[in-house]
Amino acid sequence: MLIPRRVKHRKQHHPGRSGAAKGGTKISFGDYGIQALEPAYVTNRQIESARIAMTRYIKRGGKVWINIYPDRPLTKKPAETRMGSGKGSPEWWIANVKPGRVMFELSGVPEDVAREAMRLAMHKLPMKCRFVRREGGDF
Amino acid sequence: MSSHTNKMAVERRTQFGKGAARKIRRDGKIPAVMYGHGTEPVHITLPGHDAMLALKHANPVLTLVIDGDEQLALAKDVQRDPIKPIIEHVDLVVIRKGEKVVVDISVHTEGEAAVETNVNVESSTLQVQADATNIPESIVVSVEGLEAGTQILAGDVTLPAGVDLVTDAETLVVNVTQMISQEALDAELAEADADLGDVAGAEAEATAAVEAAEGDGA
Repeated sequence: MLIPRRVKHRKQHHPGRSGAAKGGTKISFGDYGIQALEPAYVTNRQIESARIAMTRYIKRGGKVWINIYPDRPLTKKPAETRMGSGKGSPEWWIANVKPGRVMFELSGVPEDVAREAMRLAMHKLPMKCRFVRREGGDF
Repeated sequence: MSSHTNKMAVERRTQFGKGAARKIRRDGKIPAVMYGHGTEPVHITLPGHDAMLALKHANPVLTLVIDGDEQLALAKDVQRDPIKPIIEHVDLVVIRKGEKVVVDISVHTEGEAAVETNVNVESSTLQVQADATNIPESIVVSVEGLEAGTQILAGDVTLPAGVDLVTDAETLVVNVTQMISQEALDAELAEADADLGDVAGAEAEATAAVEAAEGDGA
């Protein structure tokens, strides 16, 4: 599972969720991709689940790229704890995804296989997504 | 080779800035700029639907009618909205008939490689120099019967007549690799499933390791 090896600060403020993606909005490596249509925090577990769902469907063919990295910690206070007494302990690692971001890419499989693999992967993600493919004039 | 006529009448722009550009987009048109050959940049407005159809193809050459004069231009950069199907702005380069231009052409593979192999296209585009009015739509690389371990470099790709390679000839274009074995795939998936299932174990351990390393990184 994706997790940073070392961090400068153990606890961070919540990342901002407004605006659209500034980069990574086009397919760079593969032929097909999953593009986010809403902002969301994607945890490393969700990324891994989506990757497994895709890999399991395409079996031994094709190649998967993950274009997001969960480098932001989110904290949580224990249950039934009064407010105060400092910030909670790190609970999740998340990638802050903005609309337009191509999160996963896939190549080496026919389009119908890619569509189904990515449909399965989209069910593991916490936001509305769509299937995108490389177009002739899209570079 | 691209054989689209793409002739369209365009208007000169007199008002600039985001307000004017947004007004143009609201009217269903596309703001654009045309430059090159040492000429002053010309700010123009393209008809939205015609331009959108022309820009569906890679490296389209447009014949623009400005104040009654025809001008050939090549779309150099197309800014698209990442979510909506809107073209926000187009950069056009002035070209002349018979001139050579450097463009990126997409690479496609055809044929079936040997069994138990994966075909990876490592460079999805190649930079080539071609006649401005005769730019190929794509470059097709045959992978028919290729065995695992075969690598096709940019220098090995057969280009259409009149097209010269600009990309480094040593650039890897297609890599044919051995397919992962079923046992290895099953083991990888089982390990990943176990990793996901073991919430208290793997993740807490990894987070603890990151916390321990925090002091070293600060």
